[in-house]
Amino acid sequence: METIKNALDFSDFPRLDLIIAVLVLAFLLLFPLFPFSAFAMATMIQFLMFSIYGMGWNTIGGYGGQVDLGKAQYVGIGAYTTAVMLIRWDIPFWVSMPIGVCFAVGWSFIIGYPLFRLKGHYFAIATIATSLVLKDLFEVWDFVGAARGLEISPIKYPPPDFLRLIFKEDIYYYYVLLGFFIIGIAYINWFRKSRLGFHLRCIKDNEEVAQSLGVNVRWAKVKTYAIATAFVSVVGSFHACYIKAIEPEDTMSLSISILIALMAMLGGAGSLWGPIIGAGILIPLKSYLKEWLGASAGLVGIDLIIYALIIMLVSAFEPRGIWGIIEKARRRKRK
Amino acid sequence: MDILLSSIVAGLLFGMVLAIVALGLTIIFGVMDIINFAHGEFLMIGMYTGLLTAQATGLEPLLTLPVAAAVGFLLGVLCYYGFIKFLLRGPMIAQLLGTFGLMLFLRNLALLIFGSEDRALHHGVLVGKSFDVGMGVIIPATKLAAAGLSILAFWGVWVLMNRTKVGKALTATALNAQGARYMGISTERMNALAWGIGGGTVTVAGALIVNFWSVNPFMGLLFTMIAFAIVALGGFGSVPGAFFAGLVVGMITEIPGFWDFMTYTFNLDWMANVPMTSLKYMWVYLAYFVIMVLRPRGLFGWKQ
Repeated sequence: METIKNALDFSDFPRLDLIIAVLVLAFLLLFPLFPFSAFAMATMIQFLMFSIYGMGWNTIGGYGGQVDLGKAQYVGIGAYTTAVMLIRWDIPFWVSMPIGVCFAVGWSFIIGYPLFRLKGHYFAIATIATSLVLKDLFEVWDFVGAARGLEISPIKYPPPDFLRLIFKEDIYYYYVLLGFFIIGIAYINWFRKSRLGFHLRCIKDNEEVAQSLGVNVRWAKVKTYAIATAFVSVVGSFHACYIKAIEPEDTMSLSISILIALMAMLGGAGSLWGPIIGAGILIPLKSYLKEWLGASAGLVGIDLIIYALIIMLVSAFEPRGIWGIIEKARRRKRK
Repeated sequence: MDILLSSIVAGLLFGMVLAIVALGLTIIFGVMDIINFAHGEFLMIGMYTGLLTAQATGLEPLLTLPVAAAVGFLLGVLCYYGFIKFLLRGPMIAQLLGTFGLMLFLRNLALLIFGSEDRALHHGVLVGKSFDVGMGVIIPATKLAAAGLSILAFWGVWVLMNRTKVGKALTATALNAQGARYMGISTERMNALAWGIGGGTVTVAGALIVNFWSVNPFMGLLFTMIAFAIVALGGFGSVPGAFFAGLVVGMITEIPGFWDFMTYTFNLDWMANVPMTSLKYMWVYLAYFVIMVLRPRGLFGWKQ
């Protein structure tokens, strides 16, 4: 009871933030009632997916300051667990999703212990390496369809099927995902005030001091890494049911890992709203740039060039992200 | 026995080329503690430079190396003054993602200009020729020349780093930037020089690789990861380390060959069923992970 009350307690934010947050939430809840194009709907679902990925990344990367560029492997583990279980044994989503989380968290413990011997750049590249190893293995593993991937045929399951999460209309997926999104926000809100959350921020500021204060640094990092993994894996499972065709190249590629980290950084790592702001800006930008410049104008790659320029400008001139700009402005006003 | 020998020879030859791919990365890391994700994209640009110069002028492909080196040097210096200089002030995550942005930018620029299809060299004195050394080992002339020239380039950089005043200033900056500044070394210019040398060596490597490897805009990442593995094994910032680690990683990419050798020698059926060729680069990534966890300094490293 206490925990739930804590999770829903947002009273330490300024009132303006809360009003904006409520307005955004109302918009997200009511969005499907307005007339929308299928493309806008797909973009919104992408936005929700990536903001949940970003929230997960934010625990270890933002609050903990450990730059993890290998989150895509857990997207893959979640997606493949759900898809394989559904196709081979007809196990519904709501059962296979927790199992996928267990697999992902188990794997994160196995590689987390050696990984957290490393720091900084070395840690970041090692996470990429583990992710690529797993991707290469999935590309030759026949049981999960090797490089061809898996396909969930919607004909076998008459939609709408809430147990297996197979729908024809995107609107159902949207609301399921929105549920995850709200639970995610509540969890992160609890997390940032929990004991582990304070330990992590202490580790980020100064690891030696944290250790001397009796924080078990390695265990705190591994635990948080597992929490981040669980977030990513849940959405990975969802991804399998939503896309219905998964292959190693688009569930586990490096660009997804980087996109996750990028969104959290652009919005402002280490703050509750940061990843959501980041995803809210980058995802629509990315898909509409692709739609306008890539597909219709016939200029292959120009959308990603603009995208890359934005990344470069942000990281060179405002590395603390949009939330950093807002906080700076607020501090100036207070003075 | 033939398979074993030719695998070893192929691994060593490729390793020499890989060593010079990683050289630039290790110099840049040593001097300013920044990981360059765009390194493989520099290589890709070197490959396109070599290819297009050779095709446009009809020159022998191996003679395009100076052009590639000049392009790489200018590109590196330009990147430093235009972008990396500003990144260095920010936190580590901004540096990582910033160079990732640079990689995305260069890759898609190449896609926009050159298109996505594979391109390869078809002319040149050495293309298609090979030496039969005996014992079943056949060495393609292009690979031999590439390996020889990369050793030459390596030696050149080593001399530059250890025997000239500029190189000593560069090493001083790498060891202690603050101290170097007190001694009157312009660290700003040394950083730019490191990016110039880094870019120049890797484009030379690209112009060598294009002799036996086709090029497309997406190939950079693979070489970036291989270069990371080499730098990790040799030790971040160590020039001789990069050379020996390059040879080792070259051997690692030949693991499928050794696997075949074992399969035939011991006649094991289950071994023949493992799709080893598809897992070729997985061993490189795995090696990186294992090396980093067991010995973060690498074999010859002096930075922790």
